[in-house]
Amino acid sequence: MMSKLIFGRYIPGDSLIHRMDPRAKLLLSFYFIGIIFIANNWQTYALLFAFTLAAITLSGVKWSFFINGVKPLIWLILFTVILQILFSASGGKVYWHWGIITISQLGLVNGVYIFCRFVLIIFMSTLLTLTTPPLELSDAIEYILMPLKAVHFPVYEVALMLSIALRFVPTLMDETEKIMNAQRARGVDFGEGNLFQQMRAIVPLLIPLFVSSFNRAEDLATAMEARGYQGGEGRSKFRILKWHARDAWVTLGFAVLTAALVFLRA
Amino acid sequence: MQRRSNAYHISILAVLIAIIIIQNVVPFFGYIPLPGLSITTIHITVIIAAVVLGPKDGALVGGIWGLITWIRAFIAPTSPLAPLVFTNPLISVVPRILIGVGAGYLFIWFQRHQRPTLGLTLAGVVGALINTILVMGLIGLLYSHQAAGFYQVDISKLMPYLLTIIASNGIPEAALAGILTPLIGTALLRFKH
Repeated sequence: MMSKLIFGRYIPGDSLIHRMDPRAKLLLSFYFIGIIFIANNWQTYALLFAFTLAAITLSGVKWSFFINGVKPLIWLILFTVILQILFSASGGKVYWHWGIITISQLGLVNGVYIFCRFVLIIFMSTLLTLTTPPLELSDAIEYILMPLKAVHFPVYEVALMLSIALRFVPTLMDETEKIMNAQRARGVDFGEGNLFQQMRAIVPLLIPLFVSSFNRAEDLATAMEARGYQGGEGRSKFRILKWHARDAWVTLGFAVLTAALVFLRA
Repeated sequence: MQRRSNAYHISILAVLIAIIIIQNVVPFFGYIPLPGLSITTIHITVIIAAVVLGPKDGALVGGIWGLITWIRAFIAPTSPLAPLVFTNPLISVVPRILIGVGAGYLFIWFQRHQRPTLGLTLAGVVGALINTILVMGLIGLLYSHQAAGFYQVDISKLMPYLLTIIASNGIPEAALAGILTPLIGTALLRFKH
């Protein structure tokens, strides 16, 4: 159950994509989701797929990881595609019409495009999390949030919170599993009975976890203070992010892709 | 225990954020899967944060939950609803921030009037309802005239169904929060500074 967590799973490697600056990777991944919406015909989607597949090949990560990323979502994607086919603004040749449901040529074509869009977004975001350690990602988020300092947003504090949170996810996950097993041993059935019984089963899960988390936070605070933590301003860094030539080249690659998409779109 | 240092503040919020991340992926812990419905328990974490740490921190924890929902709506949607409506940050983030604000101030008011247990129950119910009502209201407001959302599905045609789904999730969620918040809250209020 716990091992299914795809978020933050990092596959170590030494490819171009692994060595890229995490800031570049994060921003370009967001940018990619944005430019997917330029695509509106089969040529542009084919180009996007070719680009994504090239990036995956470059990363040297096994294909199966990406397929496994899509698998648990496949029913949901198909459901959205069917919704799109049945309820989208209709156009083109109408094949079937009943009440508010319309199956039209345009609806079917759009359904296929939406399927592609889902798969592309999932592939690209999986590539980001598989090639970037979570701590590098939170460093990147800190840099990207920096402009918010102008409005007195506590950037350093939030970035540190995020790093600690990511560090604690596996620890608390183990603890959750331990508490669940402890309650199972006492006869609590998870996932059985009616809504009310299921709600009641959650109480002996949440209380111990919250209490132990609050205690853990106090210990952590003591440890931080003992090591002389006093606010984020002016702290030096262990991991220093550097923008290399390769990041500039990859950014240029995305610019070329954007130009090609604009040129090819209908 | 009487400490109110910056380090404590950062570590407690970090641990709460970690809990929210875990609740997003572990069933029975973060959500109750029922046929056709999926009742979340994440709002309870936000309400507890708001009650124990105050409205501002509740808003922060709620905002993180909203951000996770927003990002997941693109890359790993949790329900058929998510890609349709939660891809809009106004619907996924803002109501969740306001859970923390609403629940936090409500509890402060009741505590001042010496009714902390009633305050915890009401903070739970009202916090959950703020989320449900704002999500429904914003969908109604944003999509009743403008047809297409992120995936071009004509949301205005689906509106009655969408609102029914959200309401049928919202009522058990409010009941759950009303029962669980006083139970968990009283155990944690000793951490309040």
